[in-house]
Formats: sequence, C-alpha cells, structure tokens
Amino acid sequence: MKFGRRLGRGAASLPGGDAAIRAYHVSKSYAAGSFALRDVSLEVGRGEFVFLTGPSGAGKTSLLKLLFAAEHPSEGQILVLGRNVARLGHRAIPDLRRRVGVVFQDFKLLERRTIEENVGLALDVVGMSRRDARAKVFAILKQLGLQHRRQHHPLSLSAGEQQRVAIARALVNEPEVLLADEPTGNLDPDLTVEIMDLIASAATRGTTVLVATHELGLVSRYGKRTVCLEGGRITEDSRPQGTTV
Amino acid sequence: MTRLATRSLYFGRTALRGISASPVTSAVAVATIAVCLVLVGVFALLLFNMEGLLERFGGDLHVTAYLEPGLSVQRQRELADLAHSVEGVAAVRLVSEQEAFERFRSGVAHGAAYLDGLGENPLPASLEITLVPARQSAEGMTVVVESLDGLEGVEDLMSGHDWVEGYLRALALVRGLGVGLGAILADATLLIVANTIRLAVVARRDEIEILSLVGASPGFVRVPFLLEGLLQGAAGGAVALALLFGLFSLGLPGFAFGLELVLGGAVPNFFSGEQALALVGSGAFLGLLGAGGALAGGLRS
Repeated sequence: MKFGRRLGRGAASLPGGDAAIRAYHVSKSYAAGSFALRDVSLEVGRGEFVFLTGPSGAGKTSLLKLLFAAEHPSEGQILVLGRNVARLGHRAIPDLRRRVGVVFQDFKLLERRTIEENVGLALDVVGMSRRDARAKVFAILKQLGLQHRRQHHPLSLSAGEQQRVAIARALVNEPEVLLADEPTGNLDPDLTVEIMDLIASAATRGTTVLVATHELGLVSRYGKRTVCLEGGRITEDSRPQGTTV
Repeated sequence: MTRLATRSLYFGRTALRGISASPVTSAVAVATIAVCLVLVGVFALLLFNMEGLLERFGGDLHVTAYLEPGLSVQRQRELADLAHSVEGVAAVRLVSEQEAFERFRSGVAHGAAYLDGLGENPLPASLEITLVPARQSAEGMTVVVESLDGLEGVEDLMSGHDWVEGYLRALALVRGLGVGLGAILADATLLIVANTIRLAVVARRDEIEILSLVGASPGFVRVPFLLEGLLQGAAGGAVALALLFGLFSLGLPGFAFGLELVLGGAVPNFFSGEQALALVGSGAFLGLLGAGGALAGGLRS
C-alpha cells in the first residue's frame, strides 16, 4: 500500500507504537511562500497529555485544525486514530470528529439552546435516543458540577462555566482524543486552573489530550510533555523527567 | 426507539425550531407560496370544471345522418352498416320516418293536435351514430362526417363538431395560461423558499459549524433545512387550499354570469380530495426543491 510505505519510513524516526496522533513532515501553507507549519513530525501516544506551546502565530491552531480535519496539510501525512487525515474524504470526516473532542477559547456554544441541548448536540449526531442522551448529559454535567444549570442558557453562565459546558460537550461522547485550543485564554487565573484540572482529568481516564496554550506558567504547573512551536517548526519536545512515551 | 425514529424526531424538532426562530421570514414565505398557489389553483379549478363539462357532455356527442326521402329500407340498412364500419363508431341506430314523427309528437306534447293537420310525415329517416368514448371529440366526429358525406342516400350530416372544437380551443387556452402562469409562479416560489432557507443558513451558521465539529455529516446538517422548506411549502399549499375554498364558497355567486358562459350552466365543483392533496403536495414539493437549491453545494465545512 502506497501510504503504508510512507508511514513505515517516517515511523522509524519516531518513538512509540500505539500512537493516537502521528504527524510526518507536515507543512501547511495558506499562500505561496507563507508557511503556517513547516516539516512538523510528532507522535502522541494513547492516553498521553501534551502541551503545545509557542507564541501567537507559531502554528498551534493550524496544527490542531489539521488534526480534526478542518484543513488538509499542504505536505506530509497525519494519522489520527489510525486514519490518514490528509486523505480523508468529506464523508469520512464526521466519523473521525465523533472520536475527537475539540474545545475552543471562545467556547462555541449556541446562545439560544440550553446547556443540556448544547452538550447533547454531540449525542444527537450519533443518533442516541433522547432519554439515553439526557442521562448521559446529566452525568457529564454532574461530573463537571453543572447539573443544576442544565436548563440555563449559556449567556446566563460565567465564562468558566461556559468553558466547562464546552468541555462537557467535547467529552460527552467519550472521545479518544481531546484537542483544546487556548481553552483558558478567556479565563482568570483561578478558573484557568479549574478548567485545566478538568482537561487533565480526561487524560487520566485514557483520553489523549493535546492542549495548545501560550501560558508557560500553566505548562510548568502540570509538568507534562511539552512541544514548542515557533515559526511553524517544532523547536523543542520536552518530556518530564523519568517518563517515556 | 430506533435510531431512525430518534433522528426523525431530531430533524422535526430542529426544523420547527428553525421556523419559530424567524417567524416573520417564515410567515412571508408561507404567504407568498400561498398566493402563488391560489393563482395556479384558480386556473386549475377552471380547467378541471371545463374538462368535467366536456366529459359530461361527451357521452351525448353523436353524428346524425339524415337520409333522402323515399330511400329503400335495404339502402337505409346498407348505409347503417357502412356507418358502423367507420373507425370510432360504437353504435348506429336507424330511425325511421315514422319513429322520427312519433318522437316529435311526444316532444311537443300539447301541440300534438296541430300535427294531425299535416297531410304526410315531413320528417326524414336518419342514422344516429354514437362514437366510442375515446373518439368523442371533434376529430372523431370529423372522421365520421367525412366518411359518410356525399354517399348516395345521405342528404345531410349534423354533429356538434363546431361546438366541441370551439370549446376545446377555449380549454387549451385556459390550460396554456394555467401552465404558463404555473411555471412563472413555481419559479417565484422556488426563489422565495431558496432565499428563506439561505437566510436561515446564514442565521444558523454557528450551529452548522458546531454540528460539523461534533461529527455531524453534511446530510445530518442539511435535512432540517430541507424539512423547513418542505413544511413551509406544505403550509403555503394548505393556506392556498383554504383561501380557494373560501373564494369558491363565498365568492362564486359574484362570478355566476362568467361561469355560465364558460361552464354552460353546469354546477362547478371544488377540488376532489386527491386534487386538494395534490395542491398541498405541490406546495411541499416546491418548498423542498427550493430548499434543496439553496443548499446545493453550500454547507461544507
């Protein structure tokens, strides 16, 4: 298989066998000569928690967009949960996204829907019955301390609560990968820690977590593997001492 | 509950939520569809009633061949056999001079006494030629008239050919106007529904984006919009049906003279159940088509 041969060559230079995310010499350009990502190779194991850091414009968001198939790489290959995102057709993208939860800095909640409905969207798309969906939504909201707010609308919630709702929506379908793009960018320091704790707890349950952030204080607090991007290139990939992938 | 039922409920809920989220836009779309369908419906009603009239009178359409006086009975029968062999003829009845006179006598009732003053029977024998249903038309009658015209023993031929031909021309005109108007109004309806759905898509772009992010397929995102178009179209059809019924019931007396001219005194009928359903269904179909046009190639994330 053509892709298999390419994969074998790239994989030899990357550690780990059972990876959730594998990127091989990935580049992304939006205009001729202007690269958002350049020759990025990365492997993230299943259940691993990784911080993606770097200054604004380093390419963090571009990399995340490639991982949930919002965009295709200009060069290279990306495997997410064993699926080649670079060659994923439009029909196959929804299947991948049901296995990958995404959290954004701006929450992306529907103002006219209740919290329960916002979180339930992820279950609506998989055709879960309303009764089962409500039970599942209640369970995840309870886990995040929001069960009493489920009939409220997003705008009546604080920023921290809204982000917790977004995390609940990303996790309710029990994704294998959780991607978070500056999830604490709009939150004050206390809420930042609260939200990061929630995201980190997902990794302890076996979910692969990749968090893009430029807050280095946050990164050092958690002591997790950190991949640093600058100018679209990986400049550092540091793991906490005593850990291996 | 099956997955299909769960999804259907979701689509129905989402479509209704979409309509209620922009009530004014939806109401304008429904009203415009209704007005278009009322105009088309008026032509359809006129057409159906004119066609019904033709069907009702069609059974009475026949050709009468008056025979020359003093023609032998054998020649009369020969002509009857000849007429029967013409294409499209269902039956031929030979009416003797005496039978014609008796018919006339019974027809004039109180004036029958005056007929006793006539020295001899002035009425000719005739052939009453009935056509098979498929040939009860101007063309069918023309074939019979042309076949018998000029034959020895046939003095004159009468048929409703001219009347039918004129009526068919009027029918074709109404049908043409109806189809032309229908096509224009169908385009207008499609445009209105398409624009309404486009507005709905723009208004709900956040929802579309989020649905796409959580793994909704393009079809899953599209179906509620299609359903919205279908429901608006069906609602427009139902409103049009109600308006037409109101016009038919309350407004018909005002058009009695015009209808008398067109329908010849026959009592006009409203749509049958199937026709009413077809009107609502055509509204729904146009709504669906308009929504489909609005979404064509549109919702990719």
